[in-house]
Amino acid sequence: MTSASTTTITAICWSCGQPAPGGHFCAVCGKVQPLPRDTDYFAFLGLPQKLALDPADLERRFHALSWKLHPDNFVRASEAERELSLERSSRLNDAYRTLLDPTARVEYLLAHEGMRREGQQKQQAPPELLEEVFELNESLDELRMARAAGGDVEERARLSKTLSAAARKFQDSLAGVDAELKKLFIAWDQAIDAGADATARRALMERMNAALNRRSYIRNLVASVHKELTEEC
Amino acid sequence: MGKTVGIDLGTTYSLIAYQDPASGRPKCVQGPYGTPLCPSIVSVDPDGAILVGEPARRRLLTQSSRTIYSVKRLMGRGIADVQDELKLFPFELAPESANVLRVRLGDRVFTPPEISAFILRELRQWAEQFFGEAVDRTVITVPAYFNDAQRQATRDAGRLAGLEVLRLVNEPTAAALAYGLHEKRSGKVAVYDLGGGTFDISILKLVSTGEGDIYQVLSTNGDTHLGGDDLDNLLLARARAEILREHGVNLDAHPEAVQELRKSLIRAKHDLSSEDRTAVIFDLPSGSGSWVREFTRAEFEAWIAPIVERTIGPVKMALADAKLAPSEIDEVVLVGGSTRVPLVRRRVEEFFGRRPHIELNPDEVVALGAAVQADILESGVRDMLLLDVTPLSLGIETMGGVVAKIIPRNSTIPASAQEMFTTGVESQTGIDIHVLQGERELAKDCRSLARFTLRVPPGPAGLARIEVKFLIDASGILQVSAKDLRAGTQQSIEVQPSYGLGDAEIEHMLEESIEHAEQDFTERQLIEARNEAEITLTATQKSLARDQAQELAPAERRAIDEASAALREAMAGRDYKLIRVLLETLNAATERLAELQMNRALSEALEGKRLGQV
Repeated sequence: MTSASTTTITAICWSCGQPAPGGHFCAVCGKVQPLPRDTDYFAFLGLPQKLALDPADLERRFHALSWKLHPDNFVRASEAERELSLERSSRLNDAYRTLLDPTARVEYLLAHEGMRREGQQKQQAPPELLEEVFELNESLDELRMARAAGGDVEERARLSKTLSAAARKFQDSLAGVDAELKKLFIAWDQAIDAGADATARRALMERMNAALNRRSYIRNLVASVHKELTEEC
Repeated sequence: MGKTVGIDLGTTYSLIAYQDPASGRPKCVQGPYGTPLCPSIVSVDPDGAILVGEPARRRLLTQSSRTIYSVKRLMGRGIADVQDELKLFPFELAPESANVLRVRLGDRVFTPPEISAFILRELRQWAEQFFGEAVDRTVITVPAYFNDAQRQATRDAGRLAGLEVLRLVNEPTAAALAYGLHEKRSGKVAVYDLGGGTFDISILKLVSTGEGDIYQVLSTNGDTHLGGDDLDNLLLARARAEILREHGVNLDAHPEAVQELRKSLIRAKHDLSSEDRTAVIFDLPSGSGSWVREFTRAEFEAWIAPIVERTIGPVKMALADAKLAPSEIDEVVLVGGSTRVPLVRRRVEEFFGRRPHIELNPDEVVALGAAVQADILESGVRDMLLLDVTPLSLGIETMGGVVAKIIPRNSTIPASAQEMFTTGVESQTGIDIHVLQGERELAKDCRSLARFTLRVPPGPAGLARIEVKFLIDASGILQVSAKDLRAGTQQSIEVQPSYGLGDAEIEHMLEESIEHAEQDFTERQLIEARNEAEITLTATQKSLARDQAQELAPAERRAIDEASAALREAMAGRDYKLIRVLLETLNAATERLAELQMNRALSEALEGKRLGQV
């Protein structure tokens, strides 16, 4: 597993040739430094890889770095410097956008640690919701068929009502998943603070991954219900 | 190094502004017609000369097939996009217009960026005349909801006008900057910008930090085809229908008359912003009487209400993206000439539950903001920082024509995304990439930005690892770069824009425009000199016909007649300098006549006053 702090060191400053300890700017000549390929979003913002972030603190860091890295500062700079600042400021914005949203934040952490890959998410119904999912899909099919057949208004109204109620229920389980994720965030942060070993961290990440899969499944379900209901209106 | 300015390249009017060092505030440059508003109209004279602004507007009525307005609506668009516009605007498109429109004006053909470049050049000239020095760098504003192709077309226009475009800034954000100078505030701000052709809504968060104020755009939405033009077109369609019904006159065959009618209706629209009722008197073509119509504000508002309502959807979406309720907005700012319409103001006030700001002139505020940003970039002395967003999600086409979003809308720019590509079959030599912009799920419903092919060294399937970096810069324009991770080499990609001009084409146009510049300048001088001469001659004839002309000494009268005749003769020629000289001679000869006229007017006014006092 890679840890960000060991990989962000650039040997020497491209501009003045002095040793550069891996900051945004050279400590000696002040020139903006190239971005190492594997700088992670947390490290970029000067944060440990912890998940229970304070949004106000995150915004302060984002604004402080924006003052320094935004392309406004480099309009009159050399082409090379403009390129470097563009790369850094876009990374800053990507990092802030990702870390501000709790779901995107944990997804990013898991992806960065090689625990979650695009297209590998399981699209299976969570076992505890299996029955409800089955009923919901049935109602969805009935509604689609009733509409395709120009079915009678009362039947469709009844189905819409059933669907709305089900969607509300799933919305609640979504809130449940979010609460679970929140607890896992705190557990993760404590594990980091306690210097937990790779196995312990891996176990936590697997639990977070499972929660994320459940979350994305339910979200898709709720979205398809909403789409169907809007068409019904 | 010349001056740096801010330019609002508008649908109806364009303006140029600068940061005034004396007052520390941005100011608009007043043009030669005593207003900072340059009509965004370009006309090609039969001689080949290009007229821009007020002189071009005069030709809208007489030379409508050689004159183009609202060209901003055509920027960065293909022929399929503008079918609706073509019904409303008398543009004649040349063939080969599929991906870049080519507009025929007289016997010359231009792309929209070239036409916009004429407007930019005209504004640049205003500023150079005003400063007495060269202007070579600029910030240009664009509607926040402009897509990549529309932004590129705007930047191309700047290049073609010989300007270095330091940055494209979104119009509502520029307006917020101008307001920020006006009065320091912090909180959430909604900027509602209804211009001549476009509608934007931006939600901003203002934050005071130790370094200065940050203007952070949270979300933006809009409609690049919604504005005052739509109000005008609606009025025009109604009026034409009424004229056909009541008088049996079809205006289809009379483009000049349509422009005349359009002008009268726009005047009526303006009247109804301050009056409750107004009237339009329109002489029907070929002397078949006149159409006289009274409009009330209530009637006008009932007609335009659906158009005004169309702005509310984007406002709601912008608020939803910013995760804010209307009541959480601390300030509302109105921008754009169309926000003078009382119904628009009422609707915005009702929606947000607060009175919008209208302190700054809605026509000028965007240009002023552009000047502020230009100054920030130029001077490097900053106490404010603008963090803007990209209005549309960026995606790439995947299997089955589905779009995978890689940079979501409302991401702070610059923004980037890295994607890894590999081969699907053995000995595949290229990977085709299709880049799109938009919110829909399928590629066919999104805006195609570009296509390119990644070159892959031969090998087994899945071995290649090509990393493509998509980067949206601070102007909202996409850059693409690719790296072969196995070979460790940077790959240069030739990105074929789906809509817009290639680099080579722009270079060619630049060369051509430089060749034309000298000729255009002379032609333009000639036309302007002739116009002025014509105006002076007409005024002189009128003056000579009045009573006071009797008081002229015979020698004085003779001098005027001779100067007039000489001027007329020169006007037939092509020497604009000679026309100018003879115009001066005529002006000198008519000094006494002008004096007589003035005395007469003065004594009449005094007499009137005395009578009134009795």
